[in-house]
Amino acid sequence: MAEFLQQFVNGLAVGGIYALIALGYTMVYGVLKLINFAHGDLFTIGAYLGLTLLTSFGLADRVGPGVAVLLLVVMVMGFVAVIGIILERVAYRPLRNSPRLSAVVSALGASIFFQNAVMLIYGARFRVYPQNLLPKISLNLLGIYIPLVKILVLVVCVIMMVGLYLFIQRTTIGTAIRAAAIDQEAARLVGINVDGVITLVFIIGPALGGLAGLMVGILYGQIKFTMGWIYGLKAFTAAILGGIGNIPGAMLGGLILGVVEALGSAYISIAWKDAIAFCVLILILVVKPTGLLGERVAEKV
Amino acid sequence: MRRFSWIVTFLAVLVFIFGSVISSTAGEIKVGLMGPMTGAWASEGQEMKQVLELLVEETNNQGGVNGQKIKLIVEDDGSDPRTAALAAQRLVTQGIVGVIGTYGSSVTEATQNIYDEAKVIQIANGSTAIRLTEKGLKYFFRTCPRDDEQARVAVKAIKNLGFHTIAILHDNTTYAKGLAEEAKRLLEKDDTVKIVFFDALTPGEQDYTAILTKLKGANPDAVFFTGYYPEAGLLLRQKKEMGWDVPFIGGDATNNPDLTKIAGADAAAGFYFVSAPLPKDLPGEEAKKFLEKFAKKYGNPPNSIYSVLAGDGFRVLVKAIEVTKSTDPDVLADYLHNKLKDFPGLTGKISFNEKGDRVGEVYRVYRVNEKGEFILLP
Repeated sequence: MAEFLQQFVNGLAVGGIYALIALGYTMVYGVLKLINFAHGDLFTIGAYLGLTLLTSFGLADRVGPGVAVLLLVVMVMGFVAVIGIILERVAYRPLRNSPRLSAVVSALGASIFFQNAVMLIYGARFRVYPQNLLPKISLNLLGIYIPLVKILVLVVCVIMMVGLYLFIQRTTIGTAIRAAAIDQEAARLVGINVDGVITLVFIIGPALGGLAGLMVGILYGQIKFTMGWIYGLKAFTAAILGGIGNIPGAMLGGLILGVVEALGSAYISIAWKDAIAFCVLILILVVKPTGLLGERVAEKV
Repeated sequence: MRRFSWIVTFLAVLVFIFGSVISSTAGEIKVGLMGPMTGAWASEGQEMKQVLELLVEETNNQGGVNGQKIKLIVEDDGSDPRTAALAAQRLVTQGIVGVIGTYGSSVTEATQNIYDEAKVIQIANGSTAIRLTEKGLKYFFRTCPRDDEQARVAVKAIKNLGFHTIAILHDNTTYAKGLAEEAKRLLEKDDTVKIVFFDALTPGEQDYTAILTKLKGANPDAVFFTGYYPEAGLLLRQKKEMGWDVPFIGGDATNNPDLTKIAGADAAAGFYFVSAPLPKDLPGEEAKKFLEKFAKKYGNPPNSIYSVLAGDGFRVLVKAIEVTKSTDPDVLADYLHNKLKDFPGLTGKISFNEKGDRVGEVYRVYRVNEKGEFILLP
């Protein structure tokens, strides 16, 4: 039982990261019907920016680790959001009225561009976050070990997701985003600035992706320019699993994927972990083609 | 008539241009480097390129080989078998005599037949999978040893260290799986050591706590991980964070200073690995001189033994061309198989057997100390 719970907790920690990245995919898809393949690389950029800001200013020594991490979160989210806006302007906006396939190809191109840009700037070798940035304390609950950092990461993920959900559901701007997701033309007719909404989506999505990158850096310590690919793929799967275009769906999908992976590797086979996760995806899509929460096809985001 | 003279002039110009192109390339020997310049192992590939560029420069400064300059043509294999096959096809159309590379066994395997059909000498530097030289390919060589040799040394180390139950973990790459299965085969013949766990992880991920939790459940005396250093570093770090105090043993793909950086010195301490000697532990004057030159040119000594092994591949190829005064692949292959004996390489003496494998003992056992340094065990 202890081992089961331990694996469950292991899965939740990974799943939280997947969920946070999945939000970026799902929001962009909701509004633009575009799979933003460059999203995984924005995640990588977040991780690298975090490292640069942390080490080049000696943040942790100047203001203490807690404040440093908070500052980092704000700065990384801001910078990656700016890159997200530029990405939308340069790679997606000129193709707004082109066939959807063109935009997808453009997204893949942007992904390759970002990945290689990171490699050229930072080099091909692994970069490592400073050790002991946050205190390495582990809680021990009935034989289940949980590092404090992981709890922190999960809490941050949940806060971000709930905050985003409330923002979309309860505010005027959120309503505008939902309106643009349903019908861009109609939204324009009632006076919604659709370009503004799309820019906003490309602020929120990349900011969350960048935050996820920063958290992976702090949590695991090791970052690499190719890491966006595998996380992007998993998060994309999570978004589909939960019902793409649906925000609670992305959260649920991410957490489920993480837990299924952990339990699958624990009780079936480690080597078949990904196969198990994708089998679950296929099963769910066979039963519910729109994904777990993807019911209201008309109202996305 | 006037038109005719125009045509003649035109042809004359054409002949002149092509003639000059041909004469300018006739004095060159082209050698290819196929390495991972991008992708997961890009750091290895970029260092391979640095090593070869240094050696080519040195050879050309000394007048080249038999009066001909050497030209290095670099192609990126992207750490990926499909990209590598395309790279190999591009290289063989450029008239290369031989190619050095590449690092990963699965990547090399995708290109072996392309070079063999084009009759190009291929000298791999990091591909240790057994089956690469079991195919009877005439033009394939490698300067690194094979995994069965590595498995033998690893099993010996496991027994010497007094472990009785062992968990084996690989990552499903050609290399890691081959090494894991060979070690398993050797251990099964032996009654003193029992295998309690055998499985593979997915490389390229960050969170291996699920795997470690499962490993811990099997309760082994030690874990033999046959994969690469990024995963090994993360495993060591997360094992330490879990508070699980079990010794890990790695294969030669964990031999990279980045291992300590990823794991942190405190988590890496006590990690054993089997490897060809590190650049800093290379015996002999040849190696010392080379390391000095490398550090002078690039500011730091080479990190990876495989880049130095790539350098050795280049040096034996040059030696073969020099001695045989030929660039005929059959002559060169015959020379490397049968006549090259105890060539003073950077990584020790080099001879090849009839399969193209390097002969002789290369592997050593290392242990990581408390400062995170790799210490050669006697």
